[in-house]
Amino acid sequence: MRGSRFLDPRVLARIDNLELLARTVVDGFISGLHRSPYLGFSIDFAEHRAYMPGDDIRWIDWRVFGRTDRFYVKQFEADTNANFSVILDVSRSMHYGSGEVTKLDYARYLAACLAYFSRRQRDRIGIVTFDRDVVDHIPPSAKHLDLVLHTLDNLEPGGEGLLEQPLLKIAESLGRRGILVLISDLYEEPDRILQAVSRLRHRGNDVMVFHVLDPAELEFPFDGATHFEDLETGERIPVVPEDLKERYRHLLAQHIRTLARLLGEHRIDYTQLDTSKPLDYALFDYLSRRQRLSRVR
Amino acid sequence: MPLSFLTPLFLAGLAALAIPIWIHLTDRERRDVTAFPSLMFLQRVPHQTVRRQRIRHWLLFLLRSGAVVLLVLAFARPLLDRSGAGGAFAGGREVVILLDRSFSMGYADRWERAVSAAGRLIDEVGERDLASVVAFADRAEALAQSTADPIRLRAALDGARPQDGPTRYAPALQVAAQILSDSKLPRHEVVLISDFQRAGWNPDEAVQLPSGAWLTAIDVAEGTAPNLSVSDVSVDSRGSASAQQLLVTARVVNTGPDARRNVEVKLSVEGQQLAAQSTDLDPNSAATVHFPVVQFPRRLALATVTAGEDPLAGDNTFQFVIAPHRAVRILLLEHAAARSTETIYLRRALNIGSDPGFDVVTKPIAQLATRDLTGRPGVILNDVPYPGGAAGRRLLEYVTEGGRLLVIMGRRATPGSWNSTGGIVTGTVAEPVDRLRDRGGSFVVVAYDHPVFEPFKAPRSGNFSTARFFRYRGYTPDDSSQVLARFDDGRPALTESAVGEGRVLVLTTGLDNVWNDLSIQPVFLPFVHQVARHVSGYGAPRMWVTAGQVLDLRDQIGDPATGSEPPREVVIETPSGDRILREFTDEEGQYLQVRERGFYRIRPVDDRTAVLTTIAVNMDPAESDLTAMDPDELVGAVSAGTAEGDEVQAAVVLAPDERERRQGLWWYLVVATLLILVTESILSNRVRPLRGRPLTSERP
Repeated sequence: MRGSRFLDPRVLARIDNLELLARTVVDGFISGLHRSPYLGFSIDFAEHRAYMPGDDIRWIDWRVFGRTDRFYVKQFEADTNANFSVILDVSRSMHYGSGEVTKLDYARYLAACLAYFSRRQRDRIGIVTFDRDVVDHIPPSAKHLDLVLHTLDNLEPGGEGLLEQPLLKIAESLGRRGILVLISDLYEEPDRILQAVSRLRHRGNDVMVFHVLDPAELEFPFDGATHFEDLETGERIPVVPEDLKERYRHLLAQHIRTLARLLGEHRIDYTQLDTSKPLDYALFDYLSRRQRLSRVR
Repeated sequence: MPLSFLTPLFLAGLAALAIPIWIHLTDRERRDVTAFPSLMFLQRVPHQTVRRQRIRHWLLFLLRSGAVVLLVLAFARPLLDRSGAGGAFAGGREVVILLDRSFSMGYADRWERAVSAAGRLIDEVGERDLASVVAFADRAEALAQSTADPIRLRAALDGARPQDGPTRYAPALQVAAQILSDSKLPRHEVVLISDFQRAGWNPDEAVQLPSGAWLTAIDVAEGTAPNLSVSDVSVDSRGSASAQQLLVTARVVNTGPDARRNVEVKLSVEGQQLAAQSTDLDPNSAATVHFPVVQFPRRLALATVTAGEDPLAGDNTFQFVIAPHRAVRILLLEHAAARSTETIYLRRALNIGSDPGFDVVTKPIAQLATRDLTGRPGVILNDVPYPGGAAGRRLLEYVTEGGRLLVIMGRRATPGSWNSTGGIVTGTVAEPVDRLRDRGGSFVVVAYDHPVFEPFKAPRSGNFSTARFFRYRGYTPDDSSQVLARFDDGRPALTESAVGEGRVLVLTTGLDNVWNDLSIQPVFLPFVHQVARHVSGYGAPRMWVTAGQVLDLRDQIGDPATGSEPPREVVIETPSGDRILREFTDEEGQYLQVRERGFYRIRPVDDRTAVLTTIAVNMDPAESDLTAMDPDELVGAVSAGTAEGDEVQAAVVLAPDERERRQGLWWYLVVATLLILVTESILSNRVRPLRGRPLTSERP
């Protein structure tokens, strides 16, 4: 069984244990990838290098000195020790799915995989869920993987969703800088989204936005006159889908483009995800983001 | 041919038309609600209104609406009024409304419907019309005749009530024919409102309406009418003079298409329930219910048998009177020299009788006195010569005044004496015929319908042929006599002749077991009892009579056995509580037609507590059979036979439900509805073949 199969959301939906799911996905994903290029002081030995004045003499490998009579210091794989927090939208609109996997399910898998992946990177991981307010808040910690996974496992769709208020609260509660991953369907005006998300960057946090959409939201494959009901507000409007399909797609594409542009301008990574697509796309995106951050650092 | 509805309330179902309208305008879309994460972008697009959708599916809407309308109409059970009679007529009409008020009209709401139909007819009577209201059961009565006054007509209608009489159509039609024949108005109409009970029409009754008359039949019966009734009761009583054991048997009839299970049949005497039995009745069948033997004092008692319940309750109860049998009072005259061996068979036979018993006084004929005949309605002359003289005159006087005489002619009944009786024996008595040579003759009954031989009419109910008659008197009756039995050589064995107001029976052989061996045959005892009852004029007390019968009150009150005279005046209390004073001064007062079900109590005028007799009256069992005839049959019979081109115009107006049932329009509507729905399904699939499963999100 190839590891890529475990990235298919439809397959993941059949795995009840979220930790097993995350481990399966991440291990399958990173197998074959090169090891982390970021070397540092860690418990995992990487190589030796010649002692340079200023190096901590604690890291001199005395066994090598005994064999070679030269000073070498140990180098280890980097242990980033960054704070990694998933900020997950659990509003009712996320509880939508045209297939087997709802957006919330997809976000749950993604968050679990990122948390597991981050934990492998020795990050402290936490999670915040919100709808129009903060629902659950697990602060980042090296020991919180189980708690985060448990929280993800027990997610319930909430009510109407808003970004501004909960994200403001989250920004205020963050202690040290870290990596923040916002997973949401972003049904708000781009300006308001930008305003809310920008607050997360105030203390130097690195913010990544995953915009999760269902294929039905993207394609709008409906036909026949019907009433559409807003999952969050319950509002209904009569719709003839055939007549407004193109217009809808245009508006949504414009929304996505605007978000990508505005967030990019503010150095916020934006990734639009399709819940029918495998998770590796998101994981790759995350990984490349981490790589860039390391270079910057 | 206006359209009406049997259950118009169902037309309220037309409000269901809102359903297809609602479906097409709103609910169709609402039912297929598609949940969507956010309407943020949809709200920015000017959406199409439902108006366009409604127009696009206009044909479907019409089909669905049509289906609803047709279905509602089917449930309302439409019917067409095809009658041509009634309504205004410019030249004036003579309308005779024949209103059936027989017992069967009390079934369910037939009477109310009949009155309602009559009321509508009265409402249609115009200023130039004349109308009559004739109510009928077994006889017809014009409650209002040839009047244009609606108040009088209404009053007559309001005063009519169902009676306990049976249905007879002929008298009513005759009254109508008489009214029409007296009328000078140009148009004659007869409207017969009835349940058209088959028992009420005898096709042999030749009733004709005047030519040119309109006959309209309005049937108020509604389909089959199951009915339960008690049609007959028999009582066998045994016991002592003070107490009796009653063995009551009732016949219960179910005239209906459905079986009746566990029908409770109750026997009550003097208002007290003495026994109850349950029985099962198949459709259109009868069952005999045998009650257990009950003890009851030997006295007159009022009893009822009640079976089950149904819409015609009147015939579920059968009234009858339990009356002790009166003894048959007989004067037996014998020859003074007759030995006991000669008379023992007759005496013993008369002593054995019970229900009725025989009160026999035996005297030598030579000692016959006038007082001996008083209170003795029957006299038997057992092998004696005609007494002649004063005794002979007394006998002649007794017979001519209504007494009954049995003359047994044995060896002592000499022809010389009996051929000079002055008219008591109307035939000629001759010497005995000797049949010893051919081992005796046999006895052949020729008049089984006579009361003496009626009980022996059925097979194996009495065999006279086993008796051998070795000698018997030659007897030639006159032409006025009736020969009831003969010997096998053709000579009369038993004759009966009328003498004055009385009757004389002549048996041409003795009963002393000498000339014949009849007295030792099994048939002897019942034969003697039957002859004695007939001679004494005994009639078993009637336990009940049928409504509509005419009774001779003297027979009901007087005691023919004792010869006691009834009082000159009596008060009759009817079941409904009315009191009728009757004087027996003329024949009119002597007879009473009983019309009500229940108990008629007859008492003296001056004593409210005394009861001379009680008469139980029940319905004619035929009236309980509610089987209906086709009104067309009656109308056709009344219309037939008139001159061609000037016949009676006939129309049948059935009860609305019967008319609706025959027309069956609802069936066509249902079929049309189904066709429309099939068309709608096909069309609906063609119009919207690509409508897919709406994408909805499961709500937690």
